[in-house]
Amino acid sequence: MATDSGRSTEAGAERRRLTADFALAIGLLALVTVGLVALRARLDKAHVALAYLLLVLVASAWRGRAVGLTLAVLSFVCFNFFLIPPYHTLAVADPLDWLALVVYLITSLVAAQLLYRAKREAAARAQLLAEAERARALREADRQKDALLASVSHDLRTPLTTITALANELRLAGDDRAATIELEAARLNLLVTDLLELSRLNGGVLQLQLEANAADDLLGSALERLAGAPRIGDVDARLEQAEPLLGRFDFTHSLRALVNLIENALKYSPPGQRVEVVAGRWGNRLVFTVSDRGPGIPPEDAAHVFDPFFRSAGRTPDVTGTGLGLTIARRLAEAQGGALRYQPRAGGGSVFSLELPALDLPPSPES
Amino acid sequence: MPDEIRVLVIDDEAPIRRAVSNALVADGLSVSEAGTAREGLDLAAAERPALIILDLGLPDGSGINVCRDLRGWCRVPIIVLSARHSDSEKVALLDAGADAYVTKPFSASALQARVRAQLRRAAAAPADGGRGEIEINGLRLDLARRSVGRGAREIHLTPTEWDLLRELVRHAGRTLTHRQLFAAVWPHSGGDAQAYLRVHISNLRGKIEVDPVRPHLVLTEPGVGYRFRSLD
Repeated sequence: MATDSGRSTEAGAERRRLTADFALAIGLLALVTVGLVALRARLDKAHVALAYLLLVLVASAWRGRAVGLTLAVLSFVCFNFFLIPPYHTLAVADPLDWLALVVYLITSLVAAQLLYRAKREAAARAQLLAEAERARALREADRQKDALLASVSHDLRTPLTTITALANELRLAGDDRAATIELEAARLNLLVTDLLELSRLNGGVLQLQLEANAADDLLGSALERLAGAPRIGDVDARLEQAEPLLGRFDFTHSLRALVNLIENALKYSPPGQRVEVVAGRWGNRLVFTVSDRGPGIPPEDAAHVFDPFFRSAGRTPDVTGTGLGLTIARRLAEAQGGALRYQPRAGGGSVFSLELPALDLPPSPES
Repeated sequence: MPDEIRVLVIDDEAPIRRAVSNALVADGLSVSEAGTAREGLDLAAAERPALIILDLGLPDGSGINVCRDLRGWCRVPIIVLSARHSDSEKVALLDAGADAYVTKPFSASALQARVRAQLRRAAAAPADGGRGEIEINGLRLDLARRSVGRGAREIHLTPTEWDLLRELVRHAGRTLTHRQLFAAVWPHSGGDAQAYLRVHISNLRGKIEVDPVRPHLVLTEPGVGYRFRSLD
Protein backbone atom coordinates (compact mmCIF):
# COMPACT_ATOMS: atom_id res chain seq x y z
CA MET A 1 0.00 0.00 0.00
CA ALA A 2 2.63 2.43 1.11
CA THR A 3 4.73 1.68 -1.95
CA ASP A 4 1.76 2.07 -4.30
CA SER A 5 0.84 5.49 -2.98
CA GLY A 6 4.53 6.36 -2.93
CA ARG A 7 4.79 5.46 -6.62
CA SER A 8 1.73 7.54 -7.57
CA THR A 9 3.07 10.51 -5.58
CA GLU A 10 6.32 10.13 -7.45
CA ALA A 11 4.55 10.06 -10.84
CA GLY A 12 2.52 13.13 -9.84
CA ALA A 13 5.64 15.03 -8.86
CA GLU A 14 7.22 14.13 -12.18
CA ARG A 15 4.16 15.43 -14.09
CA ARG A 16 4.15 18.67 -12.09
CA ARG A 17 7.88 19.15 -12.73
CA LEU A 18 7.40 18.73 -16.51
CA THR A 19 4.46 21.19 -16.57
CA ALA A 20 6.54 23.76 -14.68
CA ASP A 21 9.45 23.26 -17.13
CA PHE A 22 7.21 23.85 -20.16
CA ALA A 23 5.56 26.89 -18.55
CA LEU A 24 8.97 28.37 -17.75
CA ALA A 25 10.26 27.70 -21.29
CA ILE A 26 7.20 29.26 -22.89
CA GLY A 27 7.45 32.26 -20.55
CA LEU A 28 11.10 32.78 -21.58
CA LEU A 29 10.15 32.43 -25.25
CA ALA A 30 7.44 35.09 -24.78
CA LEU A 31 9.91 37.40 -23.02
CA VAL A 32 12.55 37.02 -25.75
CA THR A 33 9.89 37.44 -28.46
CA VAL A 34 8.57 40.66 -26.85
CA GLY A 35 12.12 42.02 -26.74
CA LEU A 36 12.78 41.08 -30.36
CA VAL A 37 9.47 42.57 -31.54
CA ALA A 38 10.32 45.86 -29.78
CA LEU A 39 13.61 46.01 -31.67
CA ARG A 40 12.45 44.39 -34.89
CA ALA A 41 12.92 47.54 -37.06
CA ARG A 42 16.67 47.53 -36.27
CA LEU A 43 17.22 43.73 -36.32
CA ASP A 44 18.37 41.47 -39.13
CA LYS A 45 16.84 37.94 -39.47
CA ALA A 46 20.23 36.48 -38.49
CA HIS A 47 20.09 38.31 -35.10
CA VAL A 48 16.63 36.87 -34.49
CA ALA A 49 17.71 33.36 -35.45
CA LEU A 50 20.77 33.54 -33.16
CA ALA A 51 18.75 34.86 -30.23
CA TYR A 52 16.16 32.06 -30.57
CA LEU A 53 18.89 29.43 -31.08
CA LEU A 54 20.57 30.52 -27.87
CA LEU A 55 17.24 30.18 -26.07
CA VAL A 56 16.69 26.64 -27.45
CA LEU A 57 20.21 25.56 -26.44
CA VAL A 58 19.88 26.95 -22.93
CA ALA A 59 16.48 25.29 -22.49
CA SER A 60 17.74 21.90 -23.81
CA ALA A 61 20.84 21.93 -21.63
CA TRP A 62 18.88 22.93 -18.59
CA ARG A 63 15.58 21.06 -18.91
CA GLY A 64 16.18 18.26 -21.42
CA ARG A 65 15.32 17.22 -24.93
CA ALA A 66 11.49 17.45 -24.81
CA VAL A 67 11.60 21.07 -23.67
CA GLY A 68 14.37 21.88 -26.20
CA LEU A 69 12.50 20.40 -29.18
CA THR A 70 9.18 22.01 -28.19
CA LEU A 71 10.89 25.37 -27.87
CA ALA A 72 12.56 24.90 -31.28
CA VAL A 73 9.15 24.40 -32.94
CA LEU A 74 7.41 27.19 -30.99
CA SER A 75 10.24 29.68 -31.65
CA PHE A 76 10.02 28.81 -35.32
CA VAL A 77 6.32 29.75 -35.27
CA CYS A 78 7.02 32.98 -33.33
CA PHE A 79 9.85 33.85 -35.71
CA ASN A 80 7.44 33.53 -38.65
CA PHE A 81 4.43 35.15 -36.97
CA PHE A 82 6.04 38.17 -35.30
CA LEU A 83 9.32 38.80 -37.04
CA ILE A 84 8.99 37.91 -40.74
CA PRO A 85 6.93 40.32 -42.89
CA PRO A 86 4.04 40.43 -43.32
CA TYR A 87 3.78 40.53 -39.52
CA HIS A 88 1.04 38.78 -37.49
CA THR A 89 0.33 36.21 -40.24
CA LEU A 90 1.97 32.90 -41.05
CA ALA A 91 2.34 33.99 -44.68
CA VAL A 92 5.83 34.84 -45.95
CA ALA A 93 6.35 37.55 -48.57
CA ASP A 94 9.97 36.89 -49.57
CA PRO A 95 10.73 33.27 -50.65
CA LEU A 96 14.28 33.75 -49.24
CA ASP A 97 12.66 34.23 -45.79
CA TRP A 98 11.26 30.70 -46.11
CA LEU A 99 14.82 29.48 -46.55
CA ALA A 100 15.92 31.38 -43.42
CA LEU A 101 12.99 29.95 -41.42
CA VAL A 102 13.53 26.35 -42.54
CA VAL A 103 17.27 26.56 -41.91
CA TYR A 104 16.53 27.96 -38.45
CA LEU A 105 14.08 25.16 -37.68
CA ILE A 106 16.49 22.44 -38.77
CA THR A 107 19.43 24.01 -36.94
CA SER A 108 17.58 24.41 -33.67
CA LEU A 109 16.11 20.89 -33.80
CA VAL A 110 19.49 19.33 -34.59
CA ALA A 111 21.24 21.42 -31.93
CA ALA A 112 18.73 20.36 -29.27
CA GLN A 113 19.09 16.72 -30.32
CA LEU A 114 22.93 16.82 -30.36
CA LEU A 115 23.08 18.43 -26.97
CA TYR A 116 20.79 15.72 -25.63
CA ARG A 117 22.93 12.95 -27.12
CA ALA A 118 26.18 14.43 -25.80
CA LYS A 119 24.69 14.60 -22.32
CA ARG A 120 23.42 11.04 -22.55
CA GLU A 121 26.82 9.72 -23.65
CA ALA A 122 28.54 11.54 -20.83
CA ALA A 123 26.07 9.93 -18.41
CA ALA A 124 26.69 6.49 -19.96
CA ARG A 125 30.43 6.97 -19.61
CA ALA A 126 29.99 7.96 -16.00
CA GLN A 127 27.89 4.85 -15.43
CA LEU A 128 30.49 2.62 -17.08
CA LEU A 129 33.13 4.13 -14.86
CA ALA A 130 30.95 3.54 -11.83
CA GLU A 131 30.43 -0.09 -12.88
CA ALA A 132 34.16 -0.63 -13.41
CA GLU A 133 34.73 0.84 -9.99
CA ARG A 134 32.11 -1.49 -8.50
CA ALA A 135 33.71 -4.53 -10.22
CA ARG A 136 37.09 -3.49 -8.89
CA ALA A 137 35.64 -3.16 -5.40
CA LEU A 138 34.08 -6.64 -5.69
CA ARG A 139 37.39 -8.13 -6.80
CA GLU A 140 39.09 -6.41 -3.91
CA ALA A 141 36.45 -7.83 -1.54
CA ASP A 142 37.08 -11.33 -2.96
CA ARG A 143 40.80 -10.87 -2.53
CA GLN A 144 40.32 -9.77 1.06
CA LYS A 145 38.01 -12.71 1.73
CA ASP A 146 40.62 -15.08 0.36
CA ALA A 147 43.39 -13.40 2.35
CA LEU A 148 41.24 -13.66 5.47
CA LEU A 149 40.61 -17.37 4.88
CA ALA A 150 44.31 -17.97 4.27
CA SER A 151 45.18 -16.19 7.49
CA VAL A 152 42.47 -18.03 9.48
CA SER A 153 43.79 -21.25 7.98
CA HIS A 154 47.33 -20.35 9.07
CA ASP A 155 46.18 -19.30 12.55
CA LEU A 156 44.25 -22.54 13.08
CA ARG A 157 46.87 -24.86 11.67
CA THR A 158 49.87 -23.45 13.49
CA PRO A 159 48.67 -24.51 16.96
CA LEU A 160 47.46 -27.83 15.52
CA THR A 161 50.96 -28.44 14.18
CA THR A 162 52.48 -27.80 17.58
CA ILE A 163 49.92 -30.00 19.34
CA THR A 164 50.40 -32.83 16.86
CA ALA A 165 54.19 -32.69 17.00
CA LEU A 166 54.37 -32.57 20.81
CA ALA A 167 51.75 -35.33 21.20
CA ASN A 168 53.78 -37.43 18.80
CA GLU A 169 56.85 -36.85 20.99
CA LEU A 170 54.93 -37.78 24.14
CA ARG A 171 53.63 -40.96 22.54
CA LEU A 172 57.14 -41.99 21.53
CA ALA A 173 58.21 -41.31 25.12
CA GLY A 174 55.67 -43.89 26.25
CA ASP A 175 52.54 -41.90 27.18
CA ASP A 176 49.56 -43.74 25.65
CA ARG A 177 47.19 -40.83 26.21
CA ALA A 178 49.13 -38.87 23.63
CA ALA A 179 47.76 -41.15 20.89
CA THR A 180 44.28 -39.82 21.67
CA ILE A 181 45.55 -36.23 21.49
CA GLU A 182 47.07 -36.97 18.09
CA LEU A 183 43.87 -38.58 16.85
CA GLU A 184 41.70 -35.70 18.04
CA ALA A 185 44.09 -33.12 16.60
CA ALA A 186 43.89 -34.92 13.27
CA ARG A 187 40.08 -34.83 13.44
CA LEU A 188 40.13 -31.15 14.31
CA ASN A 189 42.39 -30.57 11.32
CA LEU A 190 39.91 -32.37 9.05
CA LEU A 191 37.07 -30.26 10.37
CA VAL A 192 39.05 -27.03 9.93
CA THR A 193 39.94 -28.07 6.38
CA ASP A 194 36.33 -28.87 5.48
CA LEU A 195 34.88 -25.71 7.01
CA LEU A 196 37.46 -23.53 5.28
CA GLU A 197 36.84 -25.30 1.99
CA LEU A 198 33.09 -24.81 2.31
CA SER A 199 33.55 -21.10 3.13
CA ARG A 200 35.75 -20.78 0.07
CA LEU A 201 33.09 -22.44 -2.07
CA ASN A 202 30.32 -20.32 -0.55
CA GLY A 203 32.35 -17.12 -0.75
CA GLY A 204 33.10 -17.73 -4.43
CA VAL A 205 36.84 -17.45 -3.80
CA LEU A 206 37.80 -21.04 -4.57
CA GLN A 207 40.89 -20.99 -6.75
CA LEU A 208 40.66 -23.44 -9.62
CA GLN A 209 43.69 -24.59 -11.57
CA LEU A 210 41.97 -26.05 -14.62
CA GLU A 211 44.59 -27.84 -16.72
CA ALA A 212 45.23 -31.01 -18.66
CA ASN A 213 45.46 -34.02 -16.34
CA ALA A 214 45.44 -37.76 -16.85
CA ALA A 215 42.77 -40.08 -15.41
CA ASP A 216 45.32 -42.70 -14.29
CA ASP A 217 47.27 -40.00 -12.46
CA LEU A 218 44.18 -39.01 -10.47
CA LEU A 219 43.22 -42.61 -9.72
CA GLY A 220 46.80 -43.49 -8.70
CA SER A 221 47.09 -40.43 -6.46
CA ALA A 222 43.79 -41.22 -4.75
CA LEU A 223 44.99 -44.76 -3.93
CA GLU A 224 48.37 -43.38 -2.81
CA ARG A 225 46.63 -40.86 -0.54
CA LEU A 226 44.65 -43.74 1.02
CA ALA A 227 47.66 -46.07 1.25
CA GLY A 228 47.48 -46.26 5.05
CA ALA A 229 43.68 -46.43 5.29
CA PRO A 230 42.02 -49.46 6.83
CA ARG A 231 40.89 -52.07 4.25
CA ILE A 232 42.49 -50.23 1.33
CA GLY A 233 43.38 -53.73 0.08
CA ASP A 234 39.66 -54.24 -0.60
CA VAL A 235 39.74 -51.76 -3.46
CA ASP A 236 39.79 -53.04 -7.04
CA ALA A 237 40.92 -50.14 -9.24
CA ARG A 238 41.20 -50.22 -13.00
CA LEU A 239 41.17 -48.10 -16.12
CA GLU A 240 38.54 -48.90 -18.71
CA GLN A 241 40.88 -48.11 -21.63
CA ALA A 242 44.58 -48.85 -22.07
CA GLU A 243 45.51 -45.53 -23.72
CA PRO A 244 45.96 -42.43 -21.54
CA LEU A 245 42.70 -40.58 -20.82
CA LEU A 246 42.95 -36.83 -20.47
CA GLY A 247 40.65 -34.31 -18.83
CA ARG A 248 40.72 -30.59 -18.07
CA PHE A 249 40.25 -30.29 -14.33
CA ASP A 250 41.81 -29.08 -11.09
CA PHE A 251 43.90 -31.99 -9.86
CA THR A 252 43.93 -31.23 -6.13
CA HIS A 253 40.21 -30.55 -5.85
CA SER A 254 39.27 -33.58 -7.96
CA LEU A 255 41.63 -35.73 -5.90
CA ARG A 256 39.82 -34.60 -2.78
CA ALA A 257 36.44 -35.53 -4.22
CA LEU A 258 37.60 -38.97 -5.42
CA VAL A 259 39.39 -39.79 -2.14
CA ASN A 260 36.21 -38.88 -0.28
CA LEU A 261 34.12 -41.25 -2.43
CA ILE A 262 36.53 -44.17 -1.95
CA GLU A 263 36.77 -43.52 1.81
CA ASN A 264 32.98 -43.52 2.08
CA ALA A 265 32.67 -46.72 0.07
CA LEU A 266 35.22 -48.46 2.33
CA LYS A 267 33.45 -47.19 5.43
CA TYR A 268 30.06 -48.63 4.44
CA SER A 269 31.19 -51.74 2.59
CA PRO A 270 30.60 -54.94 4.62
CA PRO A 271 33.74 -56.95 5.54
CA GLY A 272 34.90 -59.22 2.76
CA GLN A 273 33.18 -57.22 0.03
CA ARG A 274 35.23 -55.44 -2.65
CA VAL A 275 34.96 -51.77 -3.57
CA GLU A 276 35.24 -51.18 -7.31
CA VAL A 277 36.81 -48.02 -8.71
CA VAL A 278 36.77 -47.64 -12.49
CA ALA A 279 37.93 -44.72 -14.65
CA GLY A 280 36.73 -44.37 -18.24
CA ARG A 281 35.60 -41.91 -20.85
CA TRP A 282 31.95 -41.46 -21.83
CA GLY A 283 31.44 -38.93 -24.63
CA ASN A 284 32.97 -35.66 -23.48
CA ARG A 285 33.24 -36.76 -19.85
CA LEU A 286 35.84 -38.59 -17.80
CA VAL A 287 33.88 -40.74 -15.36
CA PHE A 288 35.21 -42.24 -12.13
CA THR A 289 32.71 -44.67 -10.64
CA VAL A 290 33.05 -45.92 -7.07
CA SER A 291 30.78 -48.90 -6.32
CA ASP A 292 30.25 -50.61 -2.99
CA ARG A 293 28.05 -53.37 -1.58
CA GLY A 294 27.06 -51.33 1.47
CA PRO A 295 23.49 -50.72 2.66
CA GLY A 296 22.87 -48.15 -0.10
CA ILE A 297 20.72 -45.06 0.38
CA PRO A 298 16.95 -45.46 1.01
CA PRO A 299 15.03 -43.99 -1.99
CA GLU A 300 13.43 -41.30 0.19
CA ASP A 301 16.91 -40.05 1.21
CA ALA A 302 18.58 -40.19 -2.20
CA ALA A 303 17.70 -36.56 -2.94
CA HIS A 304 19.43 -35.38 0.25
CA VAL A 305 22.61 -37.39 0.16
CA PHE A 306 24.63 -34.32 -0.93
CA ASP A 307 23.13 -31.98 1.69
CA PRO A 308 25.51 -30.69 4.40
CA PHE A 309 25.51 -32.78 7.60
CA PHE A 310 22.93 -35.17 6.13
CA ARG A 311 22.77 -38.60 7.74
CA SER A 312 20.60 -41.34 6.36
CA ALA A 313 18.23 -42.64 9.05
CA GLY A 314 19.24 -46.27 8.56
CA ARG A 315 22.96 -45.65 8.96
CA THR A 316 24.95 -45.87 12.13
CA PRO A 317 26.17 -42.46 13.23
CA ASP A 318 29.57 -41.85 11.69
CA VAL A 319 32.09 -40.47 14.15
CA THR A 320 35.04 -40.24 11.80
CA GLY A 321 33.61 -37.89 9.17
CA THR A 322 32.69 -34.22 9.32
CA GLY A 323 29.37 -34.62 7.48
CA LEU A 324 30.57 -32.25 4.80
CA GLY A 325 32.50 -34.63 2.57
CA LEU A 326 29.87 -35.36 -0.09
CA THR A 327 28.61 -31.76 -0.11
CA ILE A 328 32.11 -30.45 -0.76
CA ALA A 329 32.87 -33.20 -3.28
CA ARG A 330 29.81 -32.33 -5.37
CA ARG A 331 30.44 -28.58 -5.18
CA LEU A 332 34.07 -29.11 -6.21
CA ALA A 333 33.01 -31.25 -9.18
CA GLU A 334 30.42 -28.69 -10.29
CA ALA A 335 32.84 -25.77 -9.92
CA GLN A 336 35.01 -27.45 -12.57
CA GLY A 337 32.18 -28.08 -15.02
CA GLY A 338 31.74 -31.65 -13.84
CA ALA A 339 29.15 -33.46 -11.73
CA LEU A 340 28.80 -35.94 -8.89
CA ARG A 341 25.89 -38.38 -9.06
CA TYR A 342 24.48 -41.12 -6.91
CA GLN A 343 22.59 -44.16 -8.09
CA PRO A 344 21.63 -47.41 -6.37
CA ARG A 345 23.73 -50.38 -7.43
CA ALA A 346 22.02 -53.37 -9.00
CA GLY A 347 22.19 -56.20 -6.49
CA GLY A 348 22.56 -53.80 -3.52
CA GLY A 349 24.90 -50.99 -2.61
CA SER A 350 25.75 -47.56 -3.98
CA VAL A 351 27.42 -46.20 -7.09
CA PHE A 352 28.86 -42.68 -6.94
CA SER A 353 30.09 -41.24 -10.25
CA LEU A 354 32.49 -38.33 -10.41
CA GLU A 355 32.32 -36.74 -13.86
CA LEU A 356 34.93 -34.31 -15.15
CA PRO A 357 35.30 -32.62 -18.56
CA ALA A 358 37.35 -34.82 -20.93
CA LEU A 359 40.09 -33.40 -23.15
CA ASP A 360 41.31 -34.49 -26.56
CA LEU A 361 45.04 -34.49 -27.18
CA PRO A 362 46.15 -31.10 -28.55
CA PRO A 363 48.80 -30.85 -31.34
CA SER A 364 52.15 -32.34 -30.28
CA PRO A 365 54.80 -30.00 -28.81
CA GLU A 366 57.47 -31.87 -30.82
CA SER A 367 55.99 -30.77 -34.13
CA MET B 1 81.25 -35.64 6.26
CA PRO B 2 81.54 -34.19 9.79
CA ASP B 3 80.19 -36.18 12.71
CA GLU B 4 77.74 -33.48 13.64
CA ILE B 5 74.97 -32.85 11.14
CA ARG B 6 73.50 -29.41 11.63
CA VAL B 7 70.02 -28.36 10.51
CA LEU B 8 68.85 -24.75 10.43
CA VAL B 9 65.18 -24.11 11.30
CA ILE B 10 63.79 -20.74 10.12
CA ASP B 11 60.32 -20.10 11.51
CA ASP B 12 58.79 -17.12 13.28
CA GLU B 13 56.58 -19.25 15.56
CA ALA B 14 58.58 -20.37 18.61
CA PRO B 15 56.33 -23.40 19.40
CA ILE B 16 56.80 -24.73 15.87
CA ARG B 17 60.57 -24.20 16.06
CA ARG B 18 60.52 -26.14 19.31
CA ALA B 19 58.45 -29.00 17.90
CA VAL B 20 60.65 -29.22 14.81
CA SER B 21 63.86 -29.04 16.86
CA ASN B 22 62.72 -31.78 19.23
CA ALA B 23 61.93 -34.08 16.31
CA LEU B 24 65.32 -33.43 14.71
CA VAL B 25 67.34 -33.75 17.94
CA ALA B 26 65.53 -37.04 18.61
CA ASP B 27 66.92 -38.16 15.27
CA GLY B 28 70.50 -37.34 16.32
CA LEU B 29 70.81 -34.01 14.51
CA SER B 30 72.07 -30.66 15.81
CA VAL B 31 69.73 -27.70 15.37
CA SER B 32 70.13 -23.94 15.00
CA GLU B 33 67.03 -21.75 15.14
CA ALA B 34 66.22 -18.44 13.45
CA GLY B 35 63.03 -16.40 13.92
CA THR B 36 63.37 -14.09 10.92
CA ALA B 37 64.47 -14.32 7.29
CA ARG B 38 67.45 -12.00 7.92
CA GLU B 39 68.67 -14.02 10.90
CA GLY B 40 68.15 -17.23 8.93
CA LEU B 41 70.23 -16.06 5.96
CA ASP B 42 73.02 -14.88 8.29
CA LEU B 43 73.08 -18.22 10.15
CA ALA B 44 73.01 -20.15 6.86
CA ALA B 45 76.11 -18.25 5.71
CA ALA B 46 77.90 -18.55 9.05
CA GLU B 47 77.19 -22.18 9.91
CA ARG B 48 76.79 -23.86 6.51
CA PRO B 49 74.07 -26.26 7.74
CA ALA B 50 73.51 -29.62 6.03
CA LEU B 51 69.81 -28.84 5.59
CA ILE B 52 67.42 -25.92 6.04
CA ILE B 53 63.80 -26.08 7.19
CA LEU B 54 62.04 -22.91 6.13
CA ASP B 55 58.59 -21.54 7.00
CA LEU B 56 56.78 -20.05 4.02
CA GLY B 57 55.09 -17.23 5.96
CA LEU B 58 57.93 -15.30 7.59
CA PRO B 59 57.21 -11.78 8.88
CA ASP B 60 60.16 -9.99 7.25
CA GLY B 61 60.22 -11.52 3.78
CA SER B 62 58.44 -14.35 2.09
CA GLY B 63 59.97 -17.79 2.29
CA ILE B 64 60.17 -17.82 -1.49
CA ASN B 65 62.59 -14.89 -1.46
CA VAL B 66 64.73 -16.61 1.16
CA CYS B 67 64.75 -19.69 -1.07
CA ARG B 68 65.93 -17.68 -4.10
CA ASP B 69 68.53 -15.89 -2.01
CA LEU B 70 69.94 -19.19 -0.67
CA ARG B 71 69.99 -20.75 -4.13
CA GLY B 72 72.11 -17.81 -5.29
CA TRP B 73 75.11 -19.26 -3.46
CA CYS B 74 74.49 -22.76 -2.09
CA ARG B 75 73.00 -26.16 -2.87
CA VAL B 76 71.89 -27.04 0.69
CA PRO B 77 68.61 -29.04 0.68
CA ILE B 78 65.64 -26.86 1.63
CA ILE B 79 62.41 -28.27 3.08
CA VAL B 80 59.58 -25.76 3.23
CA LEU B 81 56.88 -25.79 5.91
CA SER B 82 53.60 -24.52 4.54
CA ALA B 83 50.08 -24.02 5.89
CA ARG B 84 48.96 -22.53 2.61
CA HIS B 85 46.23 -24.22 0.65
CA SER B 86 47.42 -23.09 -2.73
CA ASP B 87 49.29 -25.43 -5.07
CA SER B 88 50.67 -22.48 -7.02
CA GLU B 89 52.65 -21.42 -3.93
CA LYS B 90 54.19 -24.88 -3.64
CA VAL B 91 55.05 -24.83 -7.32
CA ALA B 92 56.55 -21.35 -7.01
CA LEU B 93 58.80 -22.37 -4.15
CA LEU B 94 59.93 -25.59 -5.83
CA ASP B 95 60.69 -23.52 -8.93
CA ALA B 96 62.58 -21.12 -6.64
CA GLY B 97 64.85 -24.01 -5.63
CA ALA B 98 63.24 -25.72 -2.62
CA ASP B 99 63.63 -29.51 -2.58
CA ALA B 100 60.55 -30.61 -0.70
CA TYR B 101 57.64 -29.28 1.30
CA VAL B 102 55.74 -30.43 4.36
CA THR B 103 52.20 -29.18 4.90
CA LYS B 104 51.10 -28.13 8.38
CA PRO B 105 50.05 -29.80 10.53
CA PHE B 106 52.63 -32.55 10.12
CA SER B 107 53.67 -35.37 12.43
CA ALA B 108 57.21 -35.57 13.79
CA SER B 109 57.74 -38.89 12.03
CA ALA B 110 56.68 -37.47 8.65
CA LEU B 111 59.10 -34.58 9.09
CA GLN B 112 61.93 -36.91 10.18
CA ALA B 113 61.35 -39.09 7.12
CA ARG B 114 61.52 -36.07 4.82
CA VAL B 115 64.69 -34.78 6.49
CA ARG B 116 66.41 -38.19 6.31
CA ALA B 117 65.51 -38.57 2.64
CA GLN B 118 66.89 -35.14 1.77
CA LEU B 119 70.10 -35.68 3.76
CA ARG B 120 70.64 -39.04 2.02
CA ARG B 121 70.00 -37.48 -1.35
CA ALA B 122 72.44 -34.65 -0.66
CA ALA B 123 75.09 -37.10 0.55
CA ALA B 124 74.70 -39.18 -2.61
CA ALA B 125 74.73 -36.17 -4.92
CA PRO B 126 78.52 -35.67 -5.29
CA ALA B 127 78.87 -39.17 -6.73
CA ASP B 128 75.88 -38.38 -8.91
CA GLY B 129 74.11 -41.64 -8.15
CA GLY B 130 71.91 -42.31 -11.17
CA ARG B 131 74.84 -42.72 -13.54
CA GLY B 132 75.55 -46.34 -12.75
CA GLU B 133 73.28 -49.32 -12.78
CA ILE B 134 70.30 -49.08 -10.48
CA GLU B 135 67.86 -51.70 -9.33
CA ILE B 136 64.67 -50.45 -7.71
CA ASN B 137 61.38 -52.23 -7.11
CA GLY B 138 62.39 -55.02 -9.50
CA LEU B 139 63.30 -52.59 -12.27
CA ARG B 140 66.84 -52.67 -13.72
CA LEU B 141 67.97 -49.32 -14.98
CA ASP B 142 71.21 -48.27 -16.69
CA LEU B 143 71.04 -44.64 -17.70
CA ALA B 144 74.47 -44.66 -19.38
CA ARG B 145 73.63 -47.59 -21.66
CA ARG B 146 70.03 -46.48 -22.03
CA SER B 147 68.64 -49.81 -21.04
CA VAL B 148 65.78 -50.70 -18.77
CA GLY B 149 64.23 -54.04 -17.95
CA ARG B 150 62.24 -56.04 -15.47
CA GLY B 151 63.55 -59.56 -14.76
CA ALA B 152 64.77 -61.02 -18.01
CA ARG B 153 62.48 -58.79 -20.05
CA GLU B 154 63.89 -55.69 -21.82
CA ILE B 155 61.55 -52.68 -21.88
CA HIS B 156 61.50 -50.46 -24.94
CA LEU B 157 61.06 -46.74 -24.28
CA THR B 158 60.55 -43.94 -26.83
CA PRO B 159 63.20 -41.15 -26.84
CA THR B 160 60.81 -38.81 -24.99
CA GLU B 161 60.06 -41.42 -22.34
CA TRP B 162 63.82 -41.90 -21.91
CA ASP B 163 64.40 -38.20 -21.46
CA LEU B 164 61.64 -38.03 -18.86
CA LEU B 165 62.86 -41.09 -16.98
CA ARG B 166 66.48 -39.84 -16.97
CA GLU B 167 65.42 -36.44 -15.63
CA LEU B 168 63.28 -38.03 -12.91
CA VAL B 169 65.95 -40.54 -11.85
CA ARG B 170 68.72 -37.92 -11.82
CA HIS B 171 66.62 -36.06 -9.23
CA ALA B 172 65.28 -39.16 -7.48
CA GLY B 173 63.65 -38.23 -4.18
CA ARG B 174 63.12 -34.64 -5.23
CA THR B 175 59.81 -33.24 -6.49
CA LEU B 176 60.11 -31.82 -10.00
CA THR B 177 57.41 -29.36 -11.02
CA HIS B 178 55.56 -29.86 -14.30
CA ARG B 179 57.37 -26.81 -15.65
CA GLN B 180 60.82 -28.09 -14.66
CA LEU B 181 60.15 -31.47 -16.29
CA PHE B 182 58.74 -29.94 -19.43
CA ALA B 183 61.69 -27.56 -19.77
CA ALA B 184 64.13 -30.48 -19.40
CA VAL B 185 62.45 -32.67 -22.00
CA TRP B 186 61.21 -30.14 -24.56
CA PRO B 187 63.56 -27.19 -24.13
CA HIS B 188 62.61 -25.47 -27.38
CA SER B 189 58.90 -25.94 -27.81
CA GLY B 190 55.55 -24.51 -26.90
CA GLY B 191 52.34 -26.47 -27.30
CA ASP B 192 50.20 -27.72 -24.47
CA ALA B 193 52.91 -28.72 -22.00
CA GLN B 194 50.50 -30.10 -19.48
CA ALA B 195 48.65 -32.50 -21.75
CA TYR B 196 51.77 -34.02 -23.34
CA LEU B 197 53.63 -34.41 -20.10
CA ARG B 198 50.62 -36.28 -18.65
CA VAL B 199 50.39 -38.59 -21.64
CA HIS B 200 54.10 -39.48 -21.64
CA ILE B 201 54.09 -40.08 -17.89
CA SER B 202 51.06 -42.36 -18.31
CA ASN B 203 52.82 -44.29 -21.08
CA LEU B 204 56.06 -44.48 -19.09
CA ARG B 205 54.21 -45.84 -16.07
CA GLY B 206 52.43 -48.36 -18.30
CA LYS B 207 55.86 -49.71 -19.27
CA ILE B 208 57.92 -49.60 -16.07
CA GLU B 209 55.39 -49.96 -13.22
CA VAL B 210 54.04 -53.32 -12.08
CA ASP B 211 50.56 -51.81 -11.64
CA PRO B 212 50.26 -48.42 -13.39
CA VAL B 213 47.22 -47.55 -11.27
CA ARG B 214 49.32 -48.05 -8.11
CA PRO B 215 52.70 -46.61 -9.17
CA HIS B 216 55.76 -47.34 -7.00
CA LEU B 217 58.44 -45.54 -9.03
CA VAL B 218 57.02 -42.43 -10.68
CA LEU B 219 54.95 -40.79 -7.96
CA THR B 220 52.49 -37.94 -8.40
CA GLU B 221 52.74 -34.84 -6.22
CA PRO B 222 49.15 -33.64 -6.60
CA GLY B 223 48.90 -30.27 -8.30
CA VAL B 224 52.67 -29.81 -8.24
CA GLY B 225 54.60 -32.35 -10.29
CA TYR B 226 56.26 -35.78 -10.15
CA ARG B 227 58.87 -37.45 -8.00
CA PHE B 228 60.93 -40.58 -8.61
CA ARG B 229 61.15 -42.83 -5.55
CA SER B 230 64.38 -42.34 -3.56
CA LEU B 231 67.14 -44.70 -4.66
CA ASP B 232 67.93 -46.63 -1.49
